[in-house]
Amino acid sequence: MTTETEIRATRPVWSAARDVFFISIERMLPRPRSFWVFLLLALPVLLGGLLRIYPPKDLPLTGFELYGMVIALFFVRNLLPLVALLFGSALISDGVDSKTLTYFLTRPISRLSIFLGEFLAYLVTVLTLTVPCVVLTYVVLCAGTPQGLGFGAPNLIQDLGASALTLFTYGSVFALLGVSLKRPLIPGLLFLFVWEGFVANFPGDAPNYTLTAYARSLIRHRPSEEGLAELFSKFFGVGESVLVLGITGVVCLALAVWIFSRREYVISS
Amino acid sequence: MTARVVFRKASRWYGPVMALNDVSFELGPGVFGLLGPNGAGKSSLLKLACGQLRPSQGTVELLGRPAFGSPEVFHSVGLCSDTDAFFEDFTGLQFVSALLSLNGFDRAEAEKLATAAIETVDLKDAMHRKIGGYSKGMRQRIKLAQALAHQPEVLFLDEPLTGMDPQNRKRISDLMKRLGEEGRTVLVSTHILHELEQVTRRVLLIHNGRVLAEGDLGEIRDLLDRHPRSVRLKARDARGLARELVLLPDLVSLNLEDATGHLLAEIRKPDAFFSRVQELSATFGVEEMWVTDENLESVFSYLVRK
Repeated sequence: MTTETEIRATRPVWSAARDVFFISIERMLPRPRSFWVFLLLALPVLLGGLLRIYPPKDLPLTGFELYGMVIALFFVRNLLPLVALLFGSALISDGVDSKTLTYFLTRPISRLSIFLGEFLAYLVTVLTLTVPCVVLTYVVLCAGTPQGLGFGAPNLIQDLGASALTLFTYGSVFALLGVSLKRPLIPGLLFLFVWEGFVANFPGDAPNYTLTAYARSLIRHRPSEEGLAELFSKFFGVGESVLVLGITGVVCLALAVWIFSRREYVISS
Repeated sequence: MTARVVFRKASRWYGPVMALNDVSFELGPGVFGLLGPNGAGKSSLLKLACGQLRPSQGTVELLGRPAFGSPEVFHSVGLCSDTDAFFEDFTGLQFVSALLSLNGFDRAEAEKLATAAIETVDLKDAMHRKIGGYSKGMRQRIKLAQALAHQPEVLFLDEPLTGMDPQNRKRISDLMKRLGEEGRTVLVSTHILHELEQVTRRVLLIHNGRVLAEGDLGEIRDLLDRHPRSVRLKARDARGLARELVLLPDLVSLNLEDATGHLLAEIRKPDAFFSRVQELSATFGVEEMWVTDENLESVFSYLVRK
């Protein structure tokens, strides 16, 4: 027995993803999570301001060098991967936990559209939180110094690109974790602090298998004084780093979409 | 007959737990009640029907396509699920419009359809308020509005009347009946026989994961009338309401709960009781009414033995 109802096709991927994006961004940005993450990201601005107001007598670094250290160590190496974990792993699992995923799954849109819309909302949210903090850190540490703001401006632009790529790659990895596991946060933290935290500083080829080694290689203007880490750390060329991070991000995204498209989500009252 | 929802020997289990067992039926236009006690498999059946779950065995078709993995059917399908989940920071209008945008309607069209659906469920006055501030009954109605707004041909309603006041129960029941008369397929999961009786006599009886019969409502209702049913009421003037309700001849017991201020009634004749509550609701400010289904379980056990 057949139906007389004429069925229209599933909506085109990108226009449906755009509509998912608009809903998701409105839910993602004003959340308490975003507020606390913003405060964390703004910490270097505050510390930089204090340093400028009360400069230590024997500080051997210029403002620009200090900024280089902050962007490399604080942002790219530690904080941005953590931000990516908090937001990326929650892309789909937030919808499951809040039981609102059903509203997306019962519309004439493909799961690819849902995932892309959510991921774009993630990227826009984390960049909205990150970019002002990086720029302000640069301004606070470099404005009024003998080198001035113009000196490091090209580096600032590159750093913003490196931050965006770091957020994209880690976001994809954690989105994959989020669609694969019920509770992705603990495995994500283990990955960040055990694998990425230690292995990247091992001698030999071990750092080749970490993302952080490639991400921090994108920051070329950092000061050399990084203690023991500097002795062991491995650095890659910019092109190689961009390629590895980009490919890893795309592969993880594709895998995440594949899993999300096939999984059942049992959402009960 | 045009079958829009088709189950063929469909089973579904979660690990070792059998939620639905070898279920076959076909639904065409009209309103159908899905009746069964808690844990009978009603929600699993609805989830299979609207493609949220895959059948472990057998097939489930919606509008001629496999229900799982055919998002295109949702141009013509609406779901009001049993979960109390919303985009809490959205206003009622934003919520329904946003979901309509996912169906491909542009902003102006989505707002127009959303407003019409919100009017249908009598929420227009509250449509610019955030859903987070809605009462339980209002939340239920806005959930219904999003299911109706794109004027689907097939509607799945999981306990749609939960928490609504008597006037809105009547309004939504009338709406369901009208949708059925318009030729839409409406599958309503409920254990409130009284309201179901106002919209249809066609009922799928489900118990322990099996559809016992596409039964006649009359027989079930007679059985239920012989078993006392529990009703919980929330009213502005609960004491005043209690004074009136104790006069009903078929009331088995009536208690005023100190902690919640709710009235708990055990009744034998749901018809007479619900009609009386409806008459009194404006005077005593009846806000919400729930019918618990512990007694439905005993009726179903009886049916299974039979």
